[in-house]
Amino acid sequence: MISLKALSKNPFKSLLIFSSITIAVMAIFLISSVSQGIIGMFSKMIKTDGDIIITQKGISDTFFSNVNIALMDKIDKLEHVTTSYAMIVGASPIGHIPIAGIYGTSANHFSHYKLSSGKYPNEGEVILGENLAKQFTTKNINIGNKNFEISGTYSSEIGFEEGGVVMNMGDAGNLFNRSASFILVSSDSPNEIDEIVKKISNLNSEIEVKTTQNFVKEYNQFKIIENSSFVISTLAFAMGLMGIASVMSMIVNSRKEEFGIMRALGKSRFFIIKNLFFETLIMSFSAYLFALFLSFGILALLPHIEMLQGYVNGTLSLTSAIYVLASTLFMALLGSLFPAWIASKTDPILLINQGCA
Amino acid sequence: MIQASNISHFYGSEQVLFDLSFEIKSGEFLFLSGESGSGKSTLLSILSTLLKPSMGELLIDTEAVDKIKNIDYFRQSKIGFVFQFHYLINYLSVYENIALAAMDNKKENINRILDELGILELSSRYPNEISGGQRQRVAVARALVNEPKIIFADEPTGSLDSKNSTIVYGLLAEAVKNGTTVVVASHDMQIQNYATKIIRLKDGQIL
Repeated sequence: MISLKALSKNPFKSLLIFSSITIAVMAIFLISSVSQGIIGMFSKMIKTDGDIIITQKGISDTFFSNVNIALMDKIDKLEHVTTSYAMIVGASPIGHIPIAGIYGTSANHFSHYKLSSGKYPNEGEVILGENLAKQFTTKNINIGNKNFEISGTYSSEIGFEEGGVVMNMGDAGNLFNRSASFILVSSDSPNEIDEIVKKISNLNSEIEVKTTQNFVKEYNQFKIIENSSFVISTLAFAMGLMGIASVMSMIVNSRKEEFGIMRALGKSRFFIIKNLFFETLIMSFSAYLFALFLSFGILALLPHIEMLQGYVNGTLSLTSAIYVLASTLFMALLGSLFPAWIASKTDPILLINQGCA
Repeated sequence: MIQASNISHFYGSEQVLFDLSFEIKSGEFLFLSGESGSGKSTLLSILSTLLKPSMGELLIDTEAVDKIKNIDYFRQSKIGFVFQFHYLINYLSVYENIALAAMDNKKENINRILDELGILELSSRYPNEISGGQRQRVAVARALVNEPKIIFADEPTGSLDSKNSTIVYGLLAEAVKNGTTVVVASHDMQIQNYATKIIRLKDGQIL
């Protein structure tokens, strides 16, 4: 097959096109999957731990929310409520680490953090996520000018938690000067969730009660991340695809002499375009697969890079993989076939002479 | 065989051929001579259908070239080309370069022609693995493979030494003996020894 011959007899040129497409596709994948990963981690943290979330009314970010923890007594008495627990989320420098997530949680939620060593924290104690623990060899750490004893370490699938600190509600309340950032409620009856939401809303006029599903959908921080990630991904996508189209178009232009010779030998425009189509398809599809493979590799490595404390995770969805594949093939074919089609309409001798120029 | 009537050609606003009319009969060996810039390569490109003339009419084998529906098939079946720089495709072997030009029912000619030109043993080599003279012989083999009615050659010996030039002219003269019409544009006056007709060009006009 001429297409394969053309690729294999020009290994340097083929490698250049292959690398350009691979890098462009990888950039698209990594930027979009890291943003998706950040949102995924936040939403997983909230979605897996409860059906309903209670925050302070009119607050755009859980970091600023303050909900009275005493509400939990009334909530626990509601029909179909199985458990409720409170959390305080904050961030602070810890020792030499410039910033890390701090999670205060009620004692009935400690089991969410799987202990890998030691015991759950009492007052004045903390447990560290495994990623963060790697950076401390001391028995005590300083958080917000207060000294805490490290009582153990835990593991979590969520990157933010792996690089964070868990303490009890009292300590977190003193540290961040609030009762609770939010309260999460679980129910034994999915059909009653809306009814429970109404009942909790009636308990206090200063709270906002939502199902965790709705909260994730409407949470402003997610919208900001999503919008920013959309803009950055779109730009990366456009730049990557334009790069692919430019590379292919330059390659085709550099082969005008060859197309001129073929036309002079009586080969049809269809013959030239068909061969170029297969060449482009082989090249862009294999570069796409290689980029996908490399992206998976890099995304798997990210949580293990100490410097990132596990905060940067990536999620590569099947939908985006298919979307990127379709766009890559489309742009590569557009970049190669359009100039080839234009070239094929030119008089053969002019193509040959342009190729020599 | 070829009837050119009032052929003129422009590159942009510059006119390079001026109202040329002439006839080439079947089996002739025509030598297009002239200095650089005289317009001989442009005229050869027009006669060989590789370039559309700005004005005028060209008939090949009684067919008006601008009315031919499938010019690709016409070119492949009736015309052979030999270029100055051989223009072999570098990623195809000698055999594949000739096979690329060959029509399906002419592929059986490839080995015979390679053998006649003394390059059969090179058939699996690539253009960058053979000498300039051998490349030009491959280019001649490619031009002959479809047993065309006309062969056009533009400076076919321009990059060859005298020994290889004589070989190439001999091959073209042999094609004429077999009834093929040959049109050669060249600076090389050695070709006069083979030509049956000469057209001299100067500044785009026939002298």
